[in-house]
Amino acid sequence: MDAGTGTMSDAVIQAANLNFSFGSGELRRQILHDVSLVVQPGEIVILTGPSGSGKTTLLTLIGGLRQVVDGELFVLGRPLHRATPRDLVACRRDIGFIFQQHNLLDFLTARQNVELVFQLHPDVPAPVAADRSRAILKQVGLGARLDSLPSQLSGGQKQRVAVARALAAGPRLILADEPTAALDSQSGRDVVTLLQDLARSRGCPVLMVTHDSRVLDIADRIVHMEDGRIMADGVCDAARPAG
Amino acid sequence: MIAALVLAWRQLVHHKVKLCVALAGVAVAVMLMLVQLGIRQGAMDTSVAFTRRITADAVVVSPRTRTIFSAASFPRRLLHRLRADERIEQVQEISIAQARWRNPWNYFEHPISIYGIPIDEPLVELPGYDDHRDDLRPRDRAIFDARSRATYGPVVETLAREGAVEVEVNRRRIRVIGSVPVGVSITTDGNLYMTPENFLRLLPGRPAGAIDLGLVKVRPGADVAAVCHDLQPYLGAEATIMSSAALVAAETAFMRETAPVDFIFGMGAAVGFFIGFVVVYQILYTEVANQLPKFATLKAIGFGNGFLLAVVLGQAMILSLLGYVPGFVLAIWLYDVATAAIEMPFFMTAERAVMVAGATVLMCALSAIMAVRKVQSADPADVF
Repeated sequence: MDAGTGTMSDAVIQAANLNFSFGSGELRRQILHDVSLVVQPGEIVILTGPSGSGKTTLLTLIGGLRQVVDGELFVLGRPLHRATPRDLVACRRDIGFIFQQHNLLDFLTARQNVELVFQLHPDVPAPVAADRSRAILKQVGLGARLDSLPSQLSGGQKQRVAVARALAAGPRLILADEPTAALDSQSGRDVVTLLQDLARSRGCPVLMVTHDSRVLDIADRIVHMEDGRIMADGVCDAARPAG
Repeated sequence: MIAALVLAWRQLVHHKVKLCVALAGVAVAVMLMLVQLGIRQGAMDTSVAFTRRITADAVVVSPRTRTIFSAASFPRRLLHRLRADERIEQVQEISIAQARWRNPWNYFEHPISIYGIPIDEPLVELPGYDDHRDDLRPRDRAIFDARSRATYGPVVETLAREGAVEVEVNRRRIRVIGSVPVGVSITTDGNLYMTPENFLRLLPGRPAGAIDLGLVKVRPGADVAAVCHDLQPYLGAEATIMSSAALVAAETAFMRETAPVDFIFGMGAAVGFFIGFVVVYQILYTEVANQLPKFATLKAIGFGNGFLLAVVLGQAMILSLLGYVPGFVLAIWLYDVATAAIEMPFFMTAERAVMVAGATVLMCALSAIMAVRKVQSADPADVF
């Protein structure tokens, strides 16, 4: 583990000795054991591991979707282990989320789905929000499908709209949970490459949970989890044939 | 807030059929509320319509009288005492009773309300009654209410053709010599107006010294309340003097308490409210349930419960306003249908229109609040 490479102030994510469990009493099941992880600005980190290894739980803690109960967690400089529910909502507004399902509102067009995110950023004037939404959809290759409803788009196109939505408002961190799981290999590859390009060009760090061994090569670092513990953390050369 | 409304609108219009069903539900609820409350108002209004026509400033009734349509009587001599007060300009008496009218065309008998009203300066506003003054004086003459129900026969048409109709009332031959348009109510199907003398001829058993209703007109400038207060001691415990407005209030209260008008039509309106509530709740709830993963996603990316609440409430507001318009139009049409069918006039009042609009908004807002509890339970962590 290279937890010492950055100070607390520049690390995007700094988790120390996180423990987390579901249930209570006899049904209590510990999901995370003493997890420590640091993500630096601009890094693309992939979190792998078998089902039930605690990857997604770790992601929800970092995303402010669950409350940290044991251990320390700083995300974008905010101490989430001391955060109130209101703080957690504020933190989530600085994060771009990409889910396994695209979860687009099916009654809004691609452009409206992306524009909706700017409601969380009232400082951005509506015309600017419209321009930026259009621009990011062009970047993900959907310039011609701005006014299509999700039902008129393919799975890969919908996931690209979801990527555009996650990136539109200029997040300081992107969290992705199995973004390729519902896609065929080519569409999955396209979505991940797109995510990599956009994150690199903006210097935006990405933490991505995936099983998909075909996309591991985009990562700067691969963190492997098993049974709620981090088993390996480092550059996996085998997964980066080009690098 | 505007963004939430825009989102609400887009979600509503996405499913056109669902939108139509929801609007139909709201429209039916609005229509039911307006029609039921309108009939209630109509029934109340027509029942006190005659009381409202009294132009006297004050009335004298027996303390045992609950409604002037089945009044207890009091001695006429009490009424004479009032004339002693210099503030009194005119004292009159009118009588109301039920009689049996025999339809001269098919010989069926039907009850009819009969009124004994003085023909010289009557303190009751009956348009056209004065015109027949001299024709009414002879024995057994009467004037028919042109708005009586059809069950009495084609009286008005025959009057127009032949000038008079001979009928049998309480087994006496009565000559109907004209008609005035007054109107019926839920308690009476028809009215017949005549002089007090002819009234007594129809009710031979009635003691001549007993009267039902005294009308008092005070001189201009006199304070009615003060007159009533000062004169009450002269009447003792056998009669009560009150202002005409107080009589209207008492008659209205009597209708409310004894006739189940309030309950029946109030219940009808409540059923309308409930139907609308259930339909709107069902529509909003299924919409929320269908969109739950998406709403959870919105929460995950930083939208608060307040925004999602505003979206669902916004849908409720849009439904209530859009559904109100067709419901209102439908109700206006049904007022006309009901007026023709029940032969009682029903009107839309601004007060009722506003009240039902408020009830509609409340109905939709309640549905939204019930439906939105589901949104609040959406756990953003579940979308992963």
